[in-house]
Amino acid sequence: MDTQTLVKALNLERLEVNLFRGDTPGEESRERIYGGQVIAQSLLAAYETVEDRVCHSLHCYFIRPGDPNVPIIFDVDRSRDGGSFTTRRVVAIQHGQQIFNLAASFQVAESGFEHQSDMPAAPVWDEVDDDIDVQREALKDAPAEMRAWLDRPQPIEMRTVGGRFDVGAPEKRAPVQQVWFKAKDAIGSDPHMHQVILAYASDMSLLGTSIRPHGVSWRTPGVQTASLDHAMWFHQPTDFNEWHLYHQESPSASGGRGFNLGYIYRASDGALVASCAQEGLMRMRKLKT
Amino acid sequence: MNAAIPPEDEQDETLVETLQLERIEENLFRGPSPANRPGRIFGGQVIGQSLLAAYETVDTRVCHSLHCYFIRPGDPTVPIVFEVDRSRDGGSFTTRRVVAIQRGKQIFNLAASFKDPEEGFFHQAPMPTGPHWSELRDQTEMMREMLKNAPEEARRWLAQKPPIEMRSADARTYFLSGPKEPVAQHWFRCNSPVGDDAHMHQVILAYASDMNLLSTAMRPHGVHWQTPQFQSASLDHAMWFHKPSDFNQWHLYAHDSPSAWDGRGLIRGSIYAEDGTLVASVAQEGLMRMREAKA
Repeated sequence: MDTQTLVKALNLERLEVNLFRGDTPGEESRERIYGGQVIAQSLLAAYETVEDRVCHSLHCYFIRPGDPNVPIIFDVDRSRDGGSFTTRRVVAIQHGQQIFNLAASFQVAESGFEHQSDMPAAPVWDEVDDDIDVQREALKDAPAEMRAWLDRPQPIEMRTVGGRFDVGAPEKRAPVQQVWFKAKDAIGSDPHMHQVILAYASDMSLLGTSIRPHGVSWRTPGVQTASLDHAMWFHQPTDFNEWHLYHQESPSASGGRGFNLGYIYRASDGALVASCAQEGLMRMRKLKT
Repeated sequence: MNAAIPPEDEQDETLVETLQLERIEENLFRGPSPANRPGRIFGGQVIGQSLLAAYETVDTRVCHSLHCYFIRPGDPTVPIVFEVDRSRDGGSFTTRRVVAIQRGKQIFNLAASFKDPEEGFFHQAPMPTGPHWSELRDQTEMMREMLKNAPEEARRWLAQKPPIEMRSADARTYFLSGPKEPVAQHWFRCNSPVGDDAHMHQVILAYASDMNLLSTAMRPHGVHWQTPQFQSASLDHAMWFHKPSDFNQWHLYAHDSPSAWDGRGLIRGSIYAEDGTLVASVAQEGLMRMREAKA
């Protein structure tokens, strides 16, 4: 699925004033729906009920695995239309059950106090190998079917500094990860859509940061991982067709859960455009003998 | 501003008692609004009560995260109704959503997730270095000293035992102008016995986690609560509980603010037990703007 296919696929059908329906793109054959898709569609559903204000934060929970074979219903609650802020809550429903919820806040653009943490040092994106190329190299002796899967069009281009940790035998690494990313093809001129696609992409790679110190990856037999929640703060508008550095740190893993923080900087001027926080399930299941 | 001050004999109510809820229906609760604060309801109170309301609908599982929005200012003169949605009772996780209502309007929402404790992978960021609580002065005592010539009402309010004991590494920040780094450290603990209920330690830690947070984002800009025309308010609040903890013991609350832009500041907090265990992480965005002076 290329970027434009993704942009089209995220679009929702309005069933009622506050009720929307969305589909999972057909070419994404997965067992469960990718979390970033539901975040993006829920944010779009909220936007459909907001006029002229820009999302500055969202908080989500993944409640049940999403079923890619049936549409998703998005039910929007207009919590408040205030003087400066608009608040919305969205519940995503499949098979009569909540699979996901999002709360978000929207604001009229204003100016005021400014500060930001500096962009951390990182090798420049054009010196870092593309994740797909790294995987292709690792899988060069794999069956043709698996290799062909790597050739499918991707909406997001990603380059992990130091190479993806889940390729080859996982070694113990520091709980810090840097990923360069951007939308692969033109998103278009709607600034909301740049935010929506950034939210879509922000669920990628983040959970991996808390797994790095433990010498395992998603491929290790018995390892079970899933995003539990996702929070995002949009500090500045940005063009997600440009390269951005996703700097990730994991302050904690305990009790079967890993906690991750992510900061998204624009490569061209080092501006901090968004911050993310995500907790994920990460546990070793007992293998059946 | 009508600061209703309670009679002396009501002042020793513990925070556990203050936060108690009345069950109206299976998923519906009512919390009295303790009218001993001037202005609007303290955000941490609504976080604590909403988490308690969610806990009332969860059997034995422990909260590991919560996400909230402050939607409207809370009115301290009327009770708050808490409506709980039982989003899911799953095999490993329980999910709840709570909406806090006053005068028919949503003032606040919280979503939270609960699970059984389990063992597994472990790592944590080390506790930052800084002054120990025993070297620092009590924040309320310092305020009392500074405000000894303030109006009677303010002095009476300060004379009460504060629900949370707080000692700040750089307490003078509030009152000295001039830009500073957007980092801060506070030691804090509950000032009244929390008891043996582990959930209640979490609830009160959540209550206290809304304190002093926003001021860290103001530090680079030389403004504080008392700056004329300066307006600030918590917008959201997220919290992740990594480990259980006894909040009658001292904890370090370390803050940093990665961003301020467009009238909003983002602050991140890490809460450590005195032995250096990271027990919780916090994130909050707050409004911080200069209002145009009225001509």
